[in-house]
This record gives sequence, C-alpha cells and structure tokens, in this order.
Amino acid sequence: MTIWGALAGGAVGTVVLTSGLRIAQAAGYTRMDIPLLLGTIFTDNRSRASLIGYVIHFVNGLLFALVYYAIFRAVGHAGWVFGAILGVVHAAFAGGILVTVLLPVVHPRMGTLWSDSEETPILEPPGFLLVNYGRRTAIGTLIGHVAYGAIVGGFAAHLH
Amino acid sequence: MQRTADGYAPIRDYALIGDGRTAALVAKDGSVDWLCLPNVDSASVFARILDAGRGGSFQLEPSVPYKSSRRYLPGSNVLETTFETADGSVRLTDAMNLQHGDHLSPLRELCRKVEGLGGAVPMRWRLEPRFDYGRGGARFSRRGGHWVAEHRSDAVALGAWDAGEPTLEGDDALAGEFRLEQGGSAMLSLASAHEQPLVLPGRDDAELRLEHTIEFWPKWSSRCGYAGSWREAVLRSALVLKLLVFAPSGAIVAAPTASLPEWMGGGRNWDYRFTWLRDASWALDALIQLGLDDEAHAFFWWLMHASRLTQPRLQILYRIDGNSRAKEFEVPELLGYRGSSPVRIGNGAADQVQLDVYGAVFESIWLYAQHVGHLDGETGKEVAKIADYVSEHWRDRDSGIWEVRSETTHFTQSKALCWVALDRACLLAERELIPDRSQSWRTEADAIKAFVAAEGWSEEKNSYVRAPDLQEIDASLLTLAILSYEHPLNDRLQGTIDAVRRELQEGPFVYRYRGEDGVQGEEGAFLTCSFWLVDALARQGKLDEARSLMDELVETANDVGLYSEEIDPSSGEFLGNFPQGLTHLALINAAISIADASSEREAA
Repeated sequence: MTIWGALAGGAVGTVVLTSGLRIAQAAGYTRMDIPLLLGTIFTDNRSRASLIGYVIHFVNGLLFALVYYAIFRAVGHAGWVFGAILGVVHAAFAGGILVTVLLPVVHPRMGTLWSDSEETPILEPPGFLLVNYGRRTAIGTLIGHVAYGAIVGGFAAHLH
Repeated sequence: MQRTADGYAPIRDYALIGDGRTAALVAKDGSVDWLCLPNVDSASVFARILDAGRGGSFQLEPSVPYKSSRRYLPGSNVLETTFETADGSVRLTDAMNLQHGDHLSPLRELCRKVEGLGGAVPMRWRLEPRFDYGRGGARFSRRGGHWVAEHRSDAVALGAWDAGEPTLEGDDALAGEFRLEQGGSAMLSLASAHEQPLVLPGRDDAELRLEHTIEFWPKWSSRCGYAGSWREAVLRSALVLKLLVFAPSGAIVAAPTASLPEWMGGGRNWDYRFTWLRDASWALDALIQLGLDDEAHAFFWWLMHASRLTQPRLQILYRIDGNSRAKEFEVPELLGYRGSSPVRIGNGAADQVQLDVYGAVFESIWLYAQHVGHLDGETGKEVAKIADYVSEHWRDRDSGIWEVRSETTHFTQSKALCWVALDRACLLAERELIPDRSQSWRTEADAIKAFVAAEGWSEEKNSYVRAPDLQEIDASLLTLAILSYEHPLNDRLQGTIDAVRRELQEGPFVYRYRGEDGVQGEEGAFLTCSFWLVDALARQGKLDEARSLMDELVETANDVGLYSEEIDPSSGEFLGNFPQGLTHLALINAAISIADASSEREAA
C-alpha cells in the first residue's frame, strides 16, 4: 500500500468521475456540472468557470485520495472492493452534504432555501441528493464515486 | 366585501404578498385564503379559495360590521387594510417577512400587525391550517409559548402578542378575540419549517423583520427606471413580477395559484406554479427595459441551466427548482373555487410540443445578448444547437401557444415564431456571438415565411389564420407584429390586426380564439391579448387608439392594481389564476411600446 498509488488512483479516478458525469450530461441524464458549480464561485463567465472548476475538482480528487489513504492505513487494508465501499460513503457525503448543504452556503452565486426577494442568485440550489439537477443525478453521482473509490483503492493496494 | 353564501370571495378582492419563495392571497376581509409552504409550488396550507369548507385559512377581522379599504404601501409588496367600524378603525399590515441579516429567522414567516387608529374595535382571528391541499389536516400542540401545528415534515407555529388568548377549537383550529384601542397594536406571526426544527419567533424579532421588509420594497422599486405614462400600473406590475420570481433559482412562475377557473363552474382549471419558457421573452424584455438587470441576469442563467437536460429540444415548462417533471393529478378532496372542479395540481401540458417556445426563447437570448454585449462560448454553442433543432423541426405539428388539448396541427403562430428563432439566430451569428451556420438557418427561415404566406393566410378573411385546417382568427397572431415577423404596417399584418379587432374584441377585451380546443366549457377574454393589441397598435403608430385602449385596460385592474388571466367582459369578473404574470408583463411591454413610439414620433 503506497501513498503514491493512492494519489495516482485519485488522479485517474477524478478523470473517470468527471468524464462520466460529462457523458451523463451529454446523454441528458443530469444537469449536474461539477466544474461549472465550482468555477462559478470565482467567475460568472461559463467558459472560464468550467476551466477553473476542472482544476479545483482535480485537486479535490487528489485531496480525497489522501483521505482514502489515511483510512486504508488506519484499517490496514486497501483494495478495489474496499475502495468502492468508501466510494458509496463518499457519494453520500458529496450528494447529501457537500454539494447540497455546504456549497450553497459558501457559493456567492448559488441560491439557498433561504434566498428571498433581496437576493438574485444565478445558480439554482441542487436540492436533496441533487435532485434539482435531474432525477437521475443521484444515481450518476453514486456510480461515479464508486468508480473513483475502486480506482483509488486498487491503485493504492497494487502500485508500488 | 361580499362573500358568496358558500364562503368564496371574488378573485378581484384578493391582493398578493410574498417574499420571493412563496406568496399568499389576502382577501379584502383580512382572510389569508391561499398559501403554500415552504415554496410557491409546494402543497397548500391555506386553500380556502379552492374549498371554503376544508381548504384552510387565517382569518383576521373586526367582530362587528365594518367597511374595508386597502392599498399597498408605496412602491411595496406590503399590504395595508383599513377596517372602519362604528366603534372606531384599525389598520392591518400584512407581509411575508424577509430575512434580516444573519439573525436566525423562521424559514418562512407570515406577519400580521394590527394597529388601533381610533376608538376601540373588537377584533377576532381564526387560524385553520390544512396541510397538503386540505388532505393533511393539522393537529395543534403548545410549545415554548407558541401553538404549533404539524403534518409530516412540515410545521407552522403561531406567535400571538396582545391578540387575545388563543383558544383551541376542536383540535385543528385556533381562535382568539381582542379589543384594540387607539394607539394600541397587536401582532400575529405564523412561522413555518420544513424538514427542520421550527424557529419560534419573538415579538421583537418579528417586528424587526417587518420593519426591514417595509424598508426593502421601496428601495427595490427605486431601481425600476420607467418614467413614462401609467407609471403606477407599470411599477405595480414590476412588483408583481418580482413576487413571481422564485429567488433561490431565478425562475419566474406564471402565477402563484392553481386551479382558479377560466370560467365559473367550468373545468378549465390549471396549475400555473411553473415557469413557461414562452413567458421568457416577455419577462426578459420587461426586466431589461425597466433596468432590473440583476433579475434579468438571474433569469437568463436559470433559462440556460434549466433547459440543459432536454437541449437542444426545449420543454415548454419547467418546475421552479429546475426539475423537468410536472405530473398532473386531481385533488378530489377540494371542491374547487365556487364549485369549479376538478382541482388540478401539476401540469399535463409539460409534455406537449409547442414550437412557438423557440421563438420566445431566441428573442430573449437576442435581447439579453444585445443588452450585455456578449455570450460566453459554451452558451453560444448551446444556442446554435437549438437553432439547428428548429431548422430540422419547424415542419412538425404542435399544440400551439394556447396549449390546446385537441389534435396537433400546423399553427401559423408557431411557424412564425420558428422564423423569429432562426432570424435571431442569424443576427446573433452576424455579431459573432454564436457559431455561424446562418446560411442554412436563413434558408429554413425563408422556407417558413413561404409556408406561412401560402398556408397560413386567408384571402377571404384578409388575415392570417390559426392554422391551414383552422380558418379562424387567433389573437396570438398579434405577436407577429410585436416580434417584428413583418413590419406592423405591412398589409397582411394590418389585415390581421383588423380581423382580431373585428372578430375577437369585445369592448376593451380580446378573446384568444372562438374555435375548438379540446377542452369542455367556455372561457373569458384573455387580458394578455388585450395588452398585445395595445402593443401592436402602438407599433403601427396608431397612438391615440393605443392610449385610449390602455387607459381602459388600466382601469380594469382591481383596487390594488392586480390582474388575473382572464375577465368576463359582461360582468368584469376576474377569471383564471391570479395574479397572472403574463398579463402584467404584457402591460409593461405595451406601456413601453407606447412610450417608444411617442418618442419616435416626437423625434421625427
């Protein structure tokens, strides 16, 4: 089990997760656009926001890989399956708390349940389990994070 | 104000208050008869307007005979009702409170403050929450000095100060009586929660939020830059529009109500708590022209984001939270306004094909791009793909702007608006705001014009007609003049406007059409069409006629300046959902068209 393996897994896993959600968008399954959501924290230009968002999401993917690695070390085991199980927890955290509760609070351009007539946010809040971005968003998020977790777990266990 | 024997107030006697998340209808007798919580498209807690018996309401009025008059505070969405009695007079201030800074506030708060103006007036109130469109009932309990009613994950708490001792009537209604003397005041605050603990309001906090709300609205109104004729009506319409904006997402609902009938006792009862993309062009035009840039910007973002799930195909309506599903169902437990059943929730028209939507959306994109001077690359690519879709699909049959539930056909107005879509796409491409495929778009646009000229025109009527197989006049064809499909003084448009006046106008009011639409029952005249006629006349340079008609229409608003969707020309009774955003948008745009045409004439 190596930290470099986990980081490599984090890099590959993030690319797979981001690309998977992009494909789901193009196929009409979801309006969930993580790079746009993250990038619009800094700008309301959509093209620039997407670029900034990709970078932030990639860095996030590496940071989460370190968290996975810490758990692998604490438990004393890493692998595809264990990584995938952590991916389920990760998806619940991302879809249930991180994007739905925390992001709207810190995002200067996103509405919240409390936004009233005094505010004119330009991004709708994601809603519970991201359902406002399409009903199948939660399934896509789950699949993406399970794939990410499996890749991080597999890479951490097998790369030296 | 006179309620019917079975307890219904005329639609005309309601006023709207709101906070950008939800909205309440307050009758002239002080009864809140419609409120959905937590959001405008959530299930109702008060729906007395749809069932006087079991709908639920929050009544507050003198317990002796009275006369009431009311107004909005200047430039505000805070309502003030004055009750005059033989014993004295009181003033009731109703508002949906806004948050105040970072203070912990209820999720939503309906605030009702009563002040004694003279004498001593006996007052009474009665709170009957009925969750889930009257199906959920309510059970009260007492917590921390407040009465709380709950249903599943929803709850409301009542704070009552100097408003008498709340008494439980049965286990699902709370009532109180008090006497208010000159200089005295009482306060009732209804706080709500959804999936979270209640924030129980204290009197001082509620008063602070009310003061803050009263201060906010005139500040917002001062941003409205319109200075032409009918300024009061235009400003009131802008304030209504602001109440229809769902602040968390920027979406604009067509109206805050569901199932108010288009004809008394009839079955044309629809839920309007959705955003129609068709209204987009009218809304953006109005917002930009009034200088309300923040709202215009927010709505454009919502428009581009909400439609991504279905692009390049556009759905005709979306939920305000961005969800594209709007399943329609009936609520048999509610009798309907004055027996107008069924009560429908959700909107089955969501699945219809209505090609005019593309013209409306492209007009709004064009207006927005002209205003801000750019479109970012991603948006530009998406817009070009939608134009390609229009090129490929304008020959399809559709249900048309009026969402008829009869057979689909080739509606003339739908085709003409497809032309508008492709024309604006070419203009956007010319300015290098979207990828340039204007050669093929222009070819298709020309083909549309040829089709409309050959199939959508009737020599006999000297007018464009609804469809090749529906040789009838349709007031939606007025939009061809408004959206510059042809020059408004072009012979064919002139003939069409004349035909609308000849066949569909009754006094100042205009019907949509007279023919079959697949739905049983009659309907009133459509107020939006009346304002469209004003707009078209102004664009033709017939300013005296436009002004005179505008004067008449402005006079038909209710006592606080609101309009419903339709009106019964014979009785003046309001019909349909209330207040109706499209009517207010059409009023704003008609006033602006007259102002523009007047300026042009003066300049010439």
